[in-house]
Amino acid sequence: MNIALESLRPCLDGAVPAVVATASPDGTPNVAYASQVHYVDPEHVALSFQFFSKTRENVLAHPYAQVQVIEPVSFRHFRLKVHYLRTETSGPLFEYMKAQLAGIATRTGMAKVFALRGADVYRVLDIENVDPRLLPAPSPPDALLKLRGTLDHLGACDDLAQLADRALAALARGFGISHALLAMLDESGGALYTLASLGYPASGVGAEVALGEGLIGVAAREAIPVRINHHTGDYTYHAALHVADPASPRIPLPVLANPHSQIAVPLMHGARLVGVLYAESEQNAFFSHADEDALVVYGRHLGALVVQLAALPDDAEPARVAPASTPSGAPLAVRYFAHDHSVFIDNDYLIKGVAGSILWTLLNEHAASGRRDFCNRELRRDPRLPLPDFGDNLETRLILLQRRLAERCPQIALAKTGRGRFRLELARPLLLNAA
Amino acid sequence: MPTPLILTPEQTAFLQGPLSMNVGAVGRDGWPCVCRAQGVVVARDRRSLTVLLSASRGRAVLEALDTGSAITLVVSRPATHATLQLKATRAVRVGVSTAHRATSARCVAAFAGELETLGYATELKTTLASVLPTDDLVALRFVPEIVFDQTPGPDAGRVLART
Repeated sequence: MNIALESLRPCLDGAVPAVVATASPDGTPNVAYASQVHYVDPEHVALSFQFFSKTRENVLAHPYAQVQVIEPVSFRHFRLKVHYLRTETSGPLFEYMKAQLAGIATRTGMAKVFALRGADVYRVLDIENVDPRLLPAPSPPDALLKLRGTLDHLGACDDLAQLADRALAALARGFGISHALLAMLDESGGALYTLASLGYPASGVGAEVALGEGLIGVAAREAIPVRINHHTGDYTYHAALHVADPASPRIPLPVLANPHSQIAVPLMHGARLVGVLYAESEQNAFFSHADEDALVVYGRHLGALVVQLAALPDDAEPARVAPASTPSGAPLAVRYFAHDHSVFIDNDYLIKGVAGSILWTLLNEHAASGRRDFCNRELRRDPRLPLPDFGDNLETRLILLQRRLAERCPQIALAKTGRGRFRLELARPLLLNAA
Repeated sequence: MPTPLILTPEQTAFLQGPLSMNVGAVGRDGWPCVCRAQGVVVARDRRSLTVLLSASRGRAVLEALDTGSAITLVVSRPATHATLQLKATRAVRVGVSTAHRATSARCVAAFAGELETLGYATELKTTLASVLPTDDLVALRFVPEIVFDQTPGPDAGRVLART
C-alpha cells in the first residue's frame, strides 16, 4: 500500500460518517453508512455490525468491499479496498468498539438505535487518496512531546503516595488534562479503588469501581485502552451511583457528570494489571489516537513504578518524630462492621474493605497496648487482615486510608515515619465498638 | 411489462434537500466501488433521475457503469439521518449542462450548510466547494427500479417501492 493505514487514523474516529460499498452475488451494488470504522492494526480495520443489513448479507457471500472514509477538517476522501475476515462478538476489540460506538451514537442522536452485535474485521488491501490535490488537515500537537514533558514533570518518586499525586499533576502539565484519577486493582481482582484524583471538587479517594463497570471497569477487565471522543450516557457512572444501596455505603466517584471525551488506560506491569489511569474532558475529541498511544506508554511506565516502589524494603527503624500530644475532648465513636470491614466515625461512613480492617486493627492494638508505631511488614503478616499472600497492595491501601482520614476524620491520622513505617496519631479519645 | 416506478412527491422533495450522496457500482473484477456524488436532479415525471459526480474522483465507478454495472445511489440527510437507496440495473451518461453545474454547486453548498449547523466545522462551504468542484462533472441518468428506506435502525433495508 502506498498510503499507511496509520496515517488515516484521524479519519477513523467516527467524526464524519464513512460509507461501505458491497456487492451481492448477482453483482448488484449496495452502499451503506458505517457508524464506525475502527483502526485495529497497520493492516486491519473493523466495522461495527449493528443490524442484519444488506452489507452484512453481501460480505458474508462475497467478502470484498470498499470503504470510503473522510478526514475531518480537510474533508479529503480516502477509499480502502477491504476483505472481510471474521466477526468478533466478545473480547478487547469488541469492548473497545462498543464503548466508542456509544459515544458516536450519542453524538449523532442515535443513542437508542445503535447497539453493537459484533466487530467485523477486514484486511485492508489498498488505500486510494481520492483528493491528492488537497492539503491534509493540520497535524495535532505531538503526543510524544507531550509524553516526554509529562515524564519530565513526574521526575523521580520516592514513594507511592508521591507517585500517585505527581502522576496526575504531570498529566495536567504535559497533556493539558484537567480531570483525571488513578484507580488501583484491589486484592480480589474484582474491583478498583480510587487512590488519587485531579481537578474534582471532592477527591473521591476510596471510591470503588467494579471490574467491567463503566469505562474504567472495561479498560481494567480487558486490559485495554478505551477512548470515547463524544458525550455518551452509556459509560458514565452517575446512573449506577443513584441506585446504590443505601445500606451498602459507597464513596462516589468524583467524575464529571457529562464528559465529552473520556479515556481509560490500564496500568500494566508486564502482563499484570495494576490499575487504571482515567482522564476526561468537557471538550469533544479532546484525546487523539496519538494521545491514546502516549498514555498507554505512560500507563506502562506508571505500572512498573508502582510495583517497583511497593517492593522497596521497609526502613529498619522509625525516624525521630516529635512526641504525640495526648488525646483530649469528647471521645469519637468508632463503629466497625465485620461483614464488610466498614468503619463509621460518629455514625459517618469512613471506609470499608481492607483499609477498614487495617484501621480497626491499628485502633484495637493501640487501645490494648498503647502502641502507636507500626510497620508494613507486621501488617502483612497479621492474620486479622484480609490480605493476599503477596502484599503489593498494602501500601496503596494505607495511602488510601491516610487520605480518607485526612479528608473525613483528621482527629485520627497516620503519619509516615519512614519507608514502610507510620505512627497512629489521635487528637481525641476513642470509643471502639464492633457490631 | 413491469409497472414503472414513480417517485413520490415526498421522495422527490427529499432528493432536493441538503444531502450526503454516494454512488456505488461493481467493477468487472467483482469489486464494489463508491464515489461521493455532488448533485441530483429528478425528472419532471419523477421516473428517472440524473446524478452528478466528478470524473476524476469517480473514475472506478464510471468505468464500472460504462461496462454495464448496475448503479446504486444512497442519499442521507445529515440532520435527521433519513436515508434512501435507489437502485437500477443500468445508468447512461448524458451531457452536462450549465444547469447541472448550478445544481451541483447548490447541492454541495446546501450539504455544507447543513453540516455547519451540526457543528462539524466552520467555512465548510469553501472547503467542500474545493473538494467537490464542478469543473469535471459527469451526469448519469438512471430509472430507479427499487427504492429502499435506509435510515439507520432495525427497519433499514425496507423496500418502499419497486417496478
